[in-house]
Amino acid sequence: MKPLPAALVTIAVCTAAIALSNPLFPAAAAIAGGALLAAAGPPRRMYATFAITTGLTVFALEPFVAVQGLTTLWRGPDIPILDTQITTEELAYGAAAGLRIAATALAAGAFVRLADSDLLLRAVARVAPRSAMIASLTTQMLPALERDAAGVLVAARTRAARVSHPATAAHLMGPLVGMSLERAVAVAEAMEARGYAGPSRSAAPGRALTARERVLTGLGASALAIVLAALVTGAGDFRYFDLLDDPWTAAAVAGSSALAVLGAAFAWVARCRP
Amino acid sequence: MGGAMPALIFEGVSHRYAPAGRPALANVDLAVDEGELVLLIGESGSGKSTLLRAALGLVPHFHGGELRGRVRVAGLDTRRHRPGELARHAGLVFQDPEAQVVMSHVMAEAAFGLENLGVAPSEIHPRARAALEMVGAAHLAARTTRTLSGGERQRVAIASVLAMGPRVLLLDEPTSQLDPAAADELIRTLIDLRDRHGIAIVVAEHRTERLFDVADRIVAMRAGAIEVDAAPPLARQALAGMPWLLPRAPAESPPGAEPADPVAMVTHASKRLGSTLALVDVSAAFGRGAVTAVTGPNGAGKTTLALAACGLTDLDSGIATRTGRAGYVAQDPACYLLHDTALEEVEYGLKNLGLAPATRRARAVAELDRFELEWAAAEHPRDLSSGERPTWWCSTSPRAEWTAAASVTWRASSAVWPRAVPGPSS
Repeated sequence: MKPLPAALVTIAVCTAAIALSNPLFPAAAAIAGGALLAAAGPPRRMYATFAITTGLTVFALEPFVAVQGLTTLWRGPDIPILDTQITTEELAYGAAAGLRIAATALAAGAFVRLADSDLLLRAVARVAPRSAMIASLTTQMLPALERDAAGVLVAARTRAARVSHPATAAHLMGPLVGMSLERAVAVAEAMEARGYAGPSRSAAPGRALTARERVLTGLGASALAIVLAALVTGAGDFRYFDLLDDPWTAAAVAGSSALAVLGAAFAWVARCRP
Repeated sequence: MGGAMPALIFEGVSHRYAPAGRPALANVDLAVDEGELVLLIGESGSGKSTLLRAALGLVPHFHGGELRGRVRVAGLDTRRHRPGELARHAGLVFQDPEAQVVMSHVMAEAAFGLENLGVAPSEIHPRARAALEMVGAAHLAARTTRTLSGGERQRVAIASVLAMGPRVLLLDEPTSQLDPAAADELIRTLIDLRDRHGIAIVVAEHRTERLFDVADRIVAMRAGAIEVDAAPPLARQALAGMPWLLPRAPAESPPGAEPADPVAMVTHASKRLGSTLALVDVSAAFGRGAVTAVTGPNGAGKTTLALAACGLTDLDSGIATRTGRAGYVAQDPACYLLHDTALEEVEYGLKNLGLAPATRRARAVAELDRFELEWAAAEHPRDLSSGERPTWWCSTSPRAEWTAAASVTWRASSAVWPRAVPGPSS
């Protein structure tokens, strides 16, 4: 799909996750991000695993590094550096922080898979050629990494190597990483050989948005409008410390529900065959 | 060319990638006129690829190193003009099609160079489409580049450069992954570009049969220097002492044999790669002691069939059965390396089979010896010639009872390949 609709919905999800304090918004953003990633093509597992493990790690660590909140749930033994007095407020803040990271990672992963990388590269190249080169290398690296990983696996299996689970495949990581770096240099050389970063630049005529992309653009723009409205009106405000506010305000419930529904609708339309 | 300046000139050019390293180019003098087709030959590491990169300014601008002498393309000194500027006049098709894909879709890939040159938007797609047609890849225009086979990717890479309309066209082993029909078609295209459009063309090739007699000049390189620079008949005489550089006669087919004792069978196999059907209800049997050639155009599914026969890819439907341990030689065996020396790569397979260190070292040396590659034990596999790589790779699967090989014979020198597949491999 064209980058515009994917960019709109991704910005909406990331803004809700990062800029709105009320935990209902990061939760809605995580739901929307998950739905978007589910709608994107494979490989999705890598993005999902990264998002969930990072979110859970932040949630688990936050209560032990924060020294805030008045509602004590549990007090552990004294351990240097760590705060072993766990409060409800710290848990809530940790959960929100974990959701923020997970939602952002899910949405970013979905964007990479949903947006047409060629059109994205073309768009970025107009304003920031050097960034576009990095973007191109990044978008090419993932499929190239997949192909290289498959090749390395075949090379190992033909020589009786058992590489059925991550531990036995670990010794293949070094060659794979080395190969990826070589690949990145080769792609950069190929770009330069074909005139990239030359003195003048044009772009092939782009196609118009399809009907489906127009619907997706509308859904993405609506989601972004809701998030911006929550930001401007203060519907997303929330205080974690010293005591938790009540998150269930009418505006927050309505705004976060709308974001989740719009994200899911976007994902559903994106999955439908054109 | 009536005294006009040659399209490409090398004047006393020497280059080292590292100050203390051996010279990749040694005092090279070369001039290529417009409308001239030059075939560049030489063993791996002789400097062919460096010469092509120097012609586009990638040496030294991209690769660095120490360059002496002067290279001029269309009158532009490559020391003063970067590859991005020189690309307007010269185009380079790299050896590895896998490594030069920039975009995700074929049409975008073919248009990429044109956009970089600032070509008018209305001209970009027609020119890209015409270039794809020129190399027989028009049917691939709507495909994503990740689903292309090696040969299809090579066609697209060539089209992407041709679309830019270079006055100097540089190609590094362009037919290496093309099927015979596509390779013939490419040669016809090159001749047409030379004769009708007056383009200066330099082709570095190991597979010289198609080009040797249609080229205007043969340039043979050794250790970075030009050894021979002559018209084909004279070059043939001058290269009499290096017969491996001359075009090979077609190898004699071994006596045919019925696969009475199949070691691998594929039955009603179907396999989808992305949106492409790689195998559709394919059935085949491969017999012990027989050499079975699987031929077909690029993208026909040959590699997928070989992988399926070896049990190295899962089928969507159908059955693949085999007896004994299978070996597999990839299109470029030096692509997927796990170790730094040829000997360590051979040892790796033996280690996985549970052999003790001392035993496997002795066995690995013996395997290299069996394939007449004992001298290469400490070499990095990428330093082996393209003819030696498939042979070496066979030695890395010492207990293989049979071997499937993807596109190897084009790289294998006839002096090495037939004698180097001892034992029951096929």
